Amino acid sequence: MDAADRELLLGRLRGVVGERYAFADPYEMRLYQYDASPETALPDIVVIPGTAKEVAQVVKLCADARVPITARSAASSLAGGTVPVEQGVVITFARMDRILEIDIDNLRAVVQPGAVNLSLSQALKPHGYYYVPDPSSQGACTIGGNVGTNAGGPHTLLYGVTVNHVTGLEVALASGELVQVGGRNAAEATGYDLTGILVGSEGTMGVVTRIWVKIQPLPPVQKTLMAVYPDVATASNAVSAIVRTGILPAAIEMMDKLSIQAIEAASHAGYPLDAGAVLLLEVDGTPDVAEELGERMAKVCRENGASEVRVARNEAERQALWKGRKGAFSAMGRLSPDFYVMDGVVPRTKLPETLAKIHAISERTGFKICNVFHAGDGNLHPLVLFDAFKPGQYEAVLRIGDEILKLCADAGGSVTGEHGIGLEKRENIRYVFSDDDLEVMDRVRRVFDPQRLMNPGKVFPGGGLTPSHVPMPPGYPRRQPGAVVAGGDDLWV
Amino acid sequence: MGVKARAQALPGHEINVEEQRRLSVDGLLPSTVMRPGDADDAARGLHACDLASAAVVVWGGGTQMRLGAPPRRYEVAFSTERMTRLLEYEPADLTCRVEAGMRLTDLQAALRAQGQRLPLDPPHPERATVGGMLGANTNGLSRGRYGMVRDWVIGIAVAYPSGKVARAGGKVVKNVAGYDLMKLHIGALGTLGVVVEVNFKVQARPEKEATLLGQFEAPAPALEVGLKLARQYLAPAAAIVLDRDSLFESLPPPLAGEARGGGGGKTRWTLALKLDGYAREVEAARDQAIRFIREAGGGVEEPEIPPAFWDAARDWAAPADDGVVLRAIVPLTSSQRLVAAVPPDARILAQPASGVVDVRVPAPSAVKTLSRLRLAAGVEGQVVVAAAPVALKPALDVWGPPPPGFPIMRALKQALDPNGILNPGRFVGGI
Repeated sequence: MDAADRELLLGRLRGVVGERYAFADPYEMRLYQYDASPETALPDIVVIPGTAKEVAQVVKLCADARVPITARSAASSLAGGTVPVEQGVVITFARMDRILEIDIDNLRAVVQPGAVNLSLSQALKPHGYYYVPDPSSQGACTIGGNVGTNAGGPHTLLYGVTVNHVTGLEVALASGELVQVGGRNAAEATGYDLTGILVGSEGTMGVVTRIWVKIQPLPPVQKTLMAVYPDVATASNAVSAIVRTGILPAAIEMMDKLSIQAIEAASHAGYPLDAGAVLLLEVDGTPDVAEELGERMAKVCRENGASEVRVARNEAERQALWKGRKGAFSAMGRLSPDFYVMDGVVPRTKLPETLAKIHAISERTGFKICNVFHAGDGNLHPLVLFDAFKPGQYEAVLRIGDEILKLCADAGGSVTGEHGIGLEKRENIRYVFSDDDLEVMDRVRRVFDPQRLMNPGKVFPGGGLTPSHVPMPPGYPRRQPGAVVAGGDDLWV
Repeated sequence: MGVKARAQALPGHEINVEEQRRLSVDGLLPSTVMRPGDADDAARGLHACDLASAAVVVWGGGTQMRLGAPPRRYEVAFSTERMTRLLEYEPADLTCRVEAGMRLTDLQAALRAQGQRLPLDPPHPERATVGGMLGANTNGLSRGRYGMVRDWVIGIAVAYPSGKVARAGGKVVKNVAGYDLMKLHIGALGTLGVVVEVNFKVQARPEKEATLLGQFEAPAPALEVGLKLARQYLAPAAAIVLDRDSLFESLPPPLAGEARGGGGGKTRWTLALKLDGYAREVEAARDQAIRFIREAGGGVEEPEIPPAFWDAARDWAAPADDGVVLRAIVPLTSSQRLVAAVPPDARILAQPASGVVDVRVPAPSAVKTLSRLRLAAGVEGQVVVAAAPVALKPALDVWGPPPPGFPIMRALKQALDPNGILNPGRFVGGI
């Protein structure tokens, strides 16, 4: 976008949101070039709307001007989902962060997209309820972002991911319309389940402005166990054994030796430093049932090679065990200046062989790889440790990431379990979907966004799919498909 | 082109009169039938139909064929009856992959052999197919606790009129790669493509199951208790409120006789609860339910309820006869208002934990009752006609007014079935 066009659009946008809440100063916009992935790109304009109606007007102005739109909130995306790679306008929800309604009677809550995930559960706690999806970043990430990526978290093993908890959305479409799909009802609105298709579409179909979610009663007791294993293979087999007993754990998390060392250095969670792997297991239930299931799980863990099983005796001990897990990513700073986190998924039974292959990649390439992950649902988070200031390391790490995702896909799994395809994996998506599969998805996308303005450059491979040729109005330069990632000087921080 | 010449030009096999009648939909008869053997075969067949502009109605077990508006046209019956295989099942992964024509009872039997289940219980599982369950979005009575079809499908393969088979989702329980097209096809009544394979996540069977009946003089306290239970941690697997006649229909003859004879004639409403889970939790849930029922002035019965009761209740809203069934879906707290609006000549089976109220209504008053229920459902609710004879359909707006976002829905149809050959006219807003 050239300077004159930018000024023109900026003026129009300020007319909608007010002078303060639309800006284009490169210095002020620096913050909005990032998310939690290594990539960066500076937008042309940043807008901070205050209402859904303003969002719809902003979208309409952008669509009329053929300018790309990228919505973001906390920008904790690990996949570059909110980096505006094709520039244009970034819409951020810093002012739309409220919980609009807590409706215990109907087991629903209504929130704005910028509401922080944890804040909803905190608001519900006095009522004895909570919102289930709990990404590890839940203290920062927003429910709008969670809707974009269909976020998960440790406790989705038993209760499902974001899409299972969203019953309605209000969305600003590229046409400028503000439409409500679904709502307070069960997710069964007449017609096609547009709520279902919008969740997880990574902002490529529209901009969500309001969200109806299910809430559920807090479990009376959450029993948490730590089981210590000599190696990840034994721990993985124990996971399968537990699943086969008929117990439905609420969470099963695994950390390998290297992760344990980093976590212990950072947060002293009490994981034994000499362990090859640690499993963190949790069951929900009434006090006596949780007790009984805890004992049963401990027994299965021991029978399947655990050298030690420790049961959290109270909430403080439980929080300590979880603190280690939830702070695992930030603990990696103890081991390495930078890390690159993957999000592959394999069928549970393929965990041992997949982890062995990842280990072999680490041996071969010389890069250390930690594994901290949701073992219960086979969702791996290998963390490749590196130093971005050493020439060639970042490129090498990307190649390792690619190799790991390929082997997850080949094992019958997926290239992303909860972080999204974003920018990062738009080529890797070919490991799980054929051109025919992607072509159908692209048709669906074009229904919502015929001009490809909604978070362009994400989800789909860079080339290969036919672009929809949209004539440009005079005065607006054609954006370049697959634009060069700008501002690449700010690698991982 | 004459009728006969047109039939000869259509893809698929010719069928005899008997088959034609069996495969009729709302009085329309197909000219040919296709029975593809696998996913690619299905896609080839659909492509042939697309080239010939032949209108296709997709058939599974045929348990939901009275749902929807009458098809605008119907030439080819597209049956999944040859696609019945369990393609993959790894119990330790808690996942399986099946062909769309597999019957629910067959799938559940395979899972049961490993101590597992798919916690979905659509009507008539001995006939209903996996593909039909997706297309019609038939959610059973356990939806309040265990969720809906959309919560258990992790991947699909769909045959499109373009002749391509395209997949979405995958075989793992957690997966956000690409768009969740499963959601688009669930409840689409086959109007966007033909689902040919489905991947499910499954779960361990519960340790224990129990049934408890609460008896009430009026529907309101029964619904209130059902809803209150749904808000508890130990929520029932299923909670249904039935009027007396509906209960009789759901009980096998000897028990129905007892129920009719006893009860002192005052208890006209039953709250039936199915409890399942770990043994101790079922006991605790039972104690809790008894307390709530008594507090609300209800009587408690723990009769020896045969499994046939729950089967009959499950099938209640999909009657084999020509009955009219209206289905209201409302926010949980609105079900009382809805039930209060049901006229005395209709019968009710309500699911207070999920905001669903099924109403069986005599044909002559169907139109009037439908409009009254639509009023009662309010802006946040909706009422659809779940089953009706064809003669009534023109007078009943079976889907109600097109929902918000309808232009997007129509455009989706145009994008995936550009020639409009799939179930034309049967879906919302004439799609």
